Amino acid sequence: MTNEIWTEKYRPKKFEEVVGQEEVIKRVKSLVNSLNIPHLLFAGPAGTGKSTVALIVVKELFKESWRENYLELNASDERGIDVIRQKVKDFARTRALGAVPFKVIFLDEADALTREAQQALRRTMENFTNTCRFILSCNYSSKIIDPIQSRCVVFRFQLLEKKSIKKRIDLICASESLTITPEAFDALYEYSEGDCRRIINLLQATASISPNITIDLINTIVSQAKPTDVRIVLDYCLAGDFENARKKLLDIMLKDSVSGTDIIKAIQKEIWNLKIDEELKVRLTEKTGEIEFRLVEGSDEFIQLEALLAGFVLAGKKGKV
Amino acid sequence: MINQINIPWSEKYRPTKYSFLKGQELAIEKIRNFLKNFPKKKAIILYGPTGVGKTSLAYVVAAETDSEILELNASDFRDKQKISSVIGPASIQNSLFGKYKIILVDEVDGISSSEKGGLSELLALIEKTSFPIIITANDIWDKKFSLLREKSELVQLKNLDYKNIFELLNEICKKENIVVPKEVLLSISIKARGDARAAINDLQSLSKLDEGILAKELDERNKEQSIFYALHAIFKFAKIDDRILRVYDEVNMTTDEIFLWIEENIPLEYKGEELAKAFDALSRADVFRGRVHRQQHWRFLVYQNFFIGPAIAASKKYNRTGMTNYRKPLRILKIWLQNQRNKKKLSISEKYAKFCHISKKQAMKDFLLIRLILKNKKIRKQLKLTQEEEEYLDKTLDS
Repeated sequence: MTNEIWTEKYRPKKFEEVVGQEEVIKRVKSLVNSLNIPHLLFAGPAGTGKSTVALIVVKELFKESWRENYLELNASDERGIDVIRQKVKDFARTRALGAVPFKVIFLDEADALTREAQQALRRTMENFTNTCRFILSCNYSSKIIDPIQSRCVVFRFQLLEKKSIKKRIDLICASESLTITPEAFDALYEYSEGDCRRIINLLQATASISPNITIDLINTIVSQAKPTDVRIVLDYCLAGDFENARKKLLDIMLKDSVSGTDIIKAIQKEIWNLKIDEELKVRLTEKTGEIEFRLVEGSDEFIQLEALLAGFVLAGKKGKV
Repeated sequence: MINQINIPWSEKYRPTKYSFLKGQELAIEKIRNFLKNFPKKKAIILYGPTGVGKTSLAYVVAAETDSEILELNASDFRDKQKISSVIGPASIQNSLFGKYKIILVDEVDGISSSEKGGLSELLALIEKTSFPIIITANDIWDKKFSLLREKSELVQLKNLDYKNIFELLNEICKKENIVVPKEVLLSISIKARGDARAAINDLQSLSKLDEGILAKELDERNKEQSIFYALHAIFKFAKIDDRILRVYDEVNMTTDEIFLWIEENIPLEYKGEELAKAFDALSRADVFRGRVHRQQHWRFLVYQNFFIGPAIAASKKYNRTGMTNYRKPLRILKIWLQNQRNKKKLSISEKYAKFCHISKKQAMKDFLLIRLILKNKKIRKQLKLTQEEEEYLDKTLDS
C-alpha cells in the first residue's frame, strides 16, 4: 500500500489518460497543439476532470517550466475580488519565458463570485490579455455572466459514466494490489454520485483497513465519514421540540462544516423515511423545495432552515390529529 | 482605608439598621415579634430569592438588639464536634459577661439529610438552644425540611422592587462620591430583577470604568434596552398599528443584529402555527435582505422591514400579557467558539487543499473522509503537518 494521496498519484498526467470526456479532450488538445489558447471556461459537476485537464494543459504548454507560468486560485477561498485582482496583477507583471508568450491563471469555482465580482474579473481579464490566459472552472455556466462567457471558449464536462469510472478504479486496484467485488464497486459508485475524486478518496480510506474491498467494509467507512444524521433534527421537530431541533441543527452544521444546501438535500431525502402520512410527505417536500429556493435567494442559511424546521413542527402536530 | 477600597460594595454597604433595609418592612415586623415571643418558637427561617437581604436582615437584627452573631453554615453541621465546640456551651448557658447571642445558620439549602449529623444535628440544636436561631434559605419547601418547618417560624422575603434598588444604588453613589446618570441606575435596577446584591456589584464594576469605556458600556446597555422594548411591542401586540410599523426607529442596532434578536426569541413567545408563521415572515425578510445585497435594489428594504417587524407581530391573533425575559442571541458566539475549536481542522484542510488542487471549503466539507486517509503517517509527512495538527487528527480518529 503506497504512502501517497491517491487522488494526486492517479491524477491523469496526459490527455490520453483522462476518462469519459472524449469530446472535450479532442478540442482542448488541438488548441494546445497550436501553442496558443484563448480563455477557457470549464463547466461541469465536481470530480469530472476540470482541474485535471487544466493541469494537463499547462504541463503540455510549458513542459518543465509549468510551475513558473501557472497560478492556481480558488474563488471560494479568496477573500473578495480585490485579493484575486492583486494576485493576478503580481503574477502577470512579468512576461512568460520560452515558446509560449503568455502565462496561465486557473480560477477554480469561479461561480462562487458574485455578479459584481465577475464584472471586475472581466476587466482584469481584458487588462492582462496580452500576458495571461484564464482558465475558469464552474459547476454551472449559467452562473457566469454573459460578458465572461463570450470571452471564453466554453467546454462542458459530462458526469462520468459508470464504465468510465470503472476503468480508473480497475487501474488503481491493479496497481495497489486490491481486490474489489462488483457489489462493492456499485456501492462506491452510489455513494460518490459520479464524483471521481470522492470515489478515489473512499477507495483509499477503505483500502487502509484491508486490501480486499467488500461492501461491508465500504459501509463502515461511509458511516465514519458521514456527518451526523439530520434525522435527529427531524425527530425533534415531529415531537414538537423546536428549540432542541434548531440547537442540534446548528451543532451539526458547525461541527462537521456542513453547508445549508447539503443539509436541505439531506432533509429532502429523509422525508420519505419518516413515519408520517404520504400526503404529509408531499406537503413537507413542497415546503422543503420552497425553502431551498429561498436559501439561494436569501442571505442567512440558518434562518431559512429554521423556517423549515418550524414548518415541520407544525406538520408534525397536524399529522397526529 | 486600603482595605476599605477592596471590599465589595455589597459587603461594605450591608445595611446596619432596620431603616436601611429597603422594602422588607413586613419581614422586619415578623422578626421583631419572633424575638419578643422567644422561646415560644426557637428558630425563624428567612426564605426568598438571592440578594434580597436575608443575611443582612439577620445582622441588622443583631445590631439593633445589641447581640453577637454566631454564624454557622451548612458544612459545619457535618462535624458534630465543631457544632458543640462553637455553639454548644454558648447555646446552653447564657455567659455572664458576654453579649446576648443570636445563632445564624446561613443557607440551609446546602445541608444534607443523608449524611451523618447534618439536618438532625440542626434539629437537635433547636431543641436545646437558649438563644434565638435565624436560618436563611432560598427554598424551604423541600420534603427533607418538613420537620424543620414545623419547629420554626417562617418569613418570606419578597423580591425587591426596582424602585427600592434604585434608592439603594443612589445612596451608595452619594457615599462613594460618584456621579452616575439616572437612566443608568434605573437600567441597572431593572436588570437586577429584585437582586440587590447583583445590582450593587453591577454598579461597582461600572464605576471602575473610565469615561470612554463607560460610555461604550452605557451604549451597550441602551442598545439592549431599546431592543427589549421593540421585542416586547412585536411579540405582545397582534395589531399592526403605527407604533408597530415604526417599531425599530428607536433601536440603535444594525438590521443584521435585529434579525438575530428576533430569530433567537421567536420560540420564547410563539408555538405551533404562530411559530411557523413567524419564521416564515423572518425567512421572507431574509430573502429581501439577500436581494438588496445582491442587486443593490434598495427599494426592497421596505419589504424586508415589514417582514422583520409587523409581519412577525401579526403572526398571532391576540395580544399577550406578562413580561418575557428576552435572550441575547447566541448563534454568533457559538460560531465563533466552533471556529476556535476548528482552527486545527482548518489548517490541516488548508494544507490538504493546496496539495490536491481543491478549495479549503471543499476540504473542510470532506474532512471526515480525508482524516481517514491521513491515518497514514507518511502521507501526513508529505503534507508537512505540525505536531499539534497530528495530535488533533489522532484525537478525531479516536472518537
